[in-house]
Amino acid sequence: MPELSMVGRSVVRLDSRDKVTGGAKFVTDLSLPRLLCGKILRSPYPHARLLKIDVTRALSVPGVRAILTAEDTPKNIIGHIVVDEVLIAFEKVRYVGQEVAALAAESEEAAEEALGLIEVEYEELPPVFDPEVALGPDAPLIHDGGNLAYHFEYQRGDIEQGFRESDHIFESRYTTQSNHQGYIEPRGCLALADPTGKVTIWAGVQSIFRTRSRVAKFLDLAETKVRVIQPYTGGGFGGKTAPNEPAVAALLALKTGRPVRLVNTQEEEFKATRPRVPAIIYQKLGVKKDGTLLARQVRVIADCGALSGNVPHIAETMAQRPDNLYHFAHLKGEGFVVYTNNTPGGACRGFGNPQGHFPLESELDEIARTLKLDPVELRMKNAVNVNEVTLHGWKIGSCGLKDCLKLAGEKTGWRDKRANKKPGQGIGLAVGIHVSGNRRGENFAGSAAFVKVDPSGNVALITGESDTGQGAWTALAQIVAEELGIEMNSITVAPADTDIAPFCLGAYASRVAVIGGQAVRVAALDARQQLFAQAAQVLEANPEDLEASKGRIYVRGAPDRGLTFVEACRRAVYRQGGGPILGRGTYDPPTVQADKSLYGNFCQSYPFCAQVVEVEVDQGTGQVRLVNIFAADDVGKVINPILEEGQVHGCLSQAVGFSLMEEIARDNGNVIN
Amino acid sequence: MQVTLDLTVNGEDYRVTVPAKALLVEVIREIICLTGTKRGCDEGVCGSCTVLLDGKAVCSCSVLAVRAQGKQITTIEGLAKDGKLHPLQEAFINFGAIQCGYCTPGMILASKALLDDNASPSERQVREGIMGNLCRCTGYVKIVEAILACSQGKVAPDA
Repeated sequence: MPELSMVGRSVVRLDSRDKVTGGAKFVTDLSLPRLLCGKILRSPYPHARLLKIDVTRALSVPGVRAILTAEDTPKNIIGHIVVDEVLIAFEKVRYVGQEVAALAAESEEAAEEALGLIEVEYEELPPVFDPEVALGPDAPLIHDGGNLAYHFEYQRGDIEQGFRESDHIFESRYTTQSNHQGYIEPRGCLALADPTGKVTIWAGVQSIFRTRSRVAKFLDLAETKVRVIQPYTGGGFGGKTAPNEPAVAALLALKTGRPVRLVNTQEEEFKATRPRVPAIIYQKLGVKKDGTLLARQVRVIADCGALSGNVPHIAETMAQRPDNLYHFAHLKGEGFVVYTNNTPGGACRGFGNPQGHFPLESELDEIARTLKLDPVELRMKNAVNVNEVTLHGWKIGSCGLKDCLKLAGEKTGWRDKRANKKPGQGIGLAVGIHVSGNRRGENFAGSAAFVKVDPSGNVALITGESDTGQGAWTALAQIVAEELGIEMNSITVAPADTDIAPFCLGAYASRVAVIGGQAVRVAALDARQQLFAQAAQVLEANPEDLEASKGRIYVRGAPDRGLTFVEACRRAVYRQGGGPILGRGTYDPPTVQADKSLYGNFCQSYPFCAQVVEVEVDQGTGQVRLVNIFAADDVGKVINPILEEGQVHGCLSQAVGFSLMEEIARDNGNVIN
Repeated sequence: MQVTLDLTVNGEDYRVTVPAKALLVEVIREIICLTGTKRGCDEGVCGSCTVLLDGKAVCSCSVLAVRAQGKQITTIEGLAKDGKLHPLQEAFINFGAIQCGYCTPGMILASKALLDDNASPSERQVREGIMGNLCRCTGYVKIVEAILACSQGKVAPDA
């Protein structure tokens, strides 16, 4: 592999100057003439029949321009996996915070006043908040089809045989709580309808195309009538993949003929977006006395709240993903995604992975204690290796799990610290496996990009993948710079726009750098080939003999026989039959959709990690003080080290929050903290 | 009730007529149209709306605009001079202290207030100084590095 000049360097973010000067425009910073303020009226009850809505008084507030109830809204029921979602509630409300009505007014003040004057008559219904109770025969029904939203199971080997052959069985029930993604920028959008009925939405989202599809489905619009553009986005962490507010704002814009901006309050963020799915996980592990892990059985009960969203896949992740860390011979997993009257849950940093890893990694410490084994050695003994296929059919190519474990053991003084710890001191270790994109739902897991080169030498990268703050666009631009042999300041990344960008899935499942990056590379190479064709004529050389580096295109081995990158760009256009260069790239990873039993290699490459955490515990109060975290991550080839470090730091701080500090507490379906 | 205020923002004078209950963040963003000051929680918790009032960091979502009359208001747009970035801005860029950027304006202004008050803070003092400014992306590591480096006259990591 030739030496890389751009990829692998900590170049500064393309957006950094914009962001330190206040020049970066987020959706709330955008405005248009005659802008209206949109607001949503949300249910105060966790479960109630909607008897009557009267908007007469609200409409009389000066400045109110439109009020929407379910009667003004297509009553479409849609769903990502299970069909159970409506945009504006009709017949029933199923959680505190569900959309009951929406309005647009000249000012925020008028909007808020009118919101308080919408009269809604509810008949309260008995709610249920505990998913295990919700599965019982006498539980109140949240949806007509019953409270079991989704069920899955898988079995590899013979689990009963596995337990029979085990010397020890470890059985426990684990629970994890809900916490919020906690992005600092609240979800928001601005919608504008044109006279043909086409609606343009600026929204801080992780997926412009999924947002477009959701708006179209909710509103009975053709996707061609919806355009989604992503301005700067203030973090997402799973919570901004494809929210509902754009559809509400779009409908208000269509009704009023005016631009409408709709931004969540902090209260709405906590009670009406999709925080982490709380889980109950029953786990049974069978182990030989030498520490060989033989069998793992898990039963996941995932409280999806009132709507299933992508919780089915989150619950599958909880059960299945940690199985792939070790050489189990027998596996059985089962999952129940259960409706309750809690806030609907969703993806939150790690999808279901933190919830899923917690039981296995915790129990391994119990096993190590019982068998008097070192927790690092226990994991080393069972860890998955390079080029293995796991029982779930996952093709583990490169695998740094053991390297991460080794580093964690060596660099932290693990042995000494464990041997010498005093009462109140603790040191623990856990490992993890994740994905970099996966093939779910519709059978496309790929990405696409255009690289446009104009005669000025300006290179525009056009992608439908989102940068929500992680720095993906900088990393993608580095790939373009690498292949074209140019500096970062010659590259612009165009705003992600469904009318302009090639179809992409967006920023989730840690897929953008790996899969988006491959597509960008193909597009950049396509552009380079076109440039080389031009340069070859000038240089009277074969295109195959050319090289691009440091802003020049030249004959390999003879750097003087060359021309500047800009000269090649000019030559592409300014000649008989010329035209601008458009490099086109698509990439679809060599993966398959998992079958019904969740078997199949649905991801191209699997990252691994190991972490050691040292704490001090106040033995009187139980308060935990974090002393140190060590993290070793196998993330593959790093495109930009400083961005990568930022991702790890952010992950760790969110992990500390989830472990020690964060919980959304609810009483009767109401968020109370 | 409307009031007419004379405000000085980033050294420029503005005469604005606003409701007496208007918040400083509303006037800065909606009347003066400086949108670098962000609205996050709107209740003085997240710090994204931080501005400097006579050099002191305040949450502009929790200050009435009338209280800012006669004071020097500094927003993030006022930090760079003649196209040259403030050292804190340089340091935030070079140390990778920025991710989504939503907390960044407030974070930089809080850091400026901190360093103006204490030119060579300890790490602990830096962490305390930015306690009112939440960042969900970075885990604060690189932010603290950037501020500490800046206090030592450095705006970039050692090569």
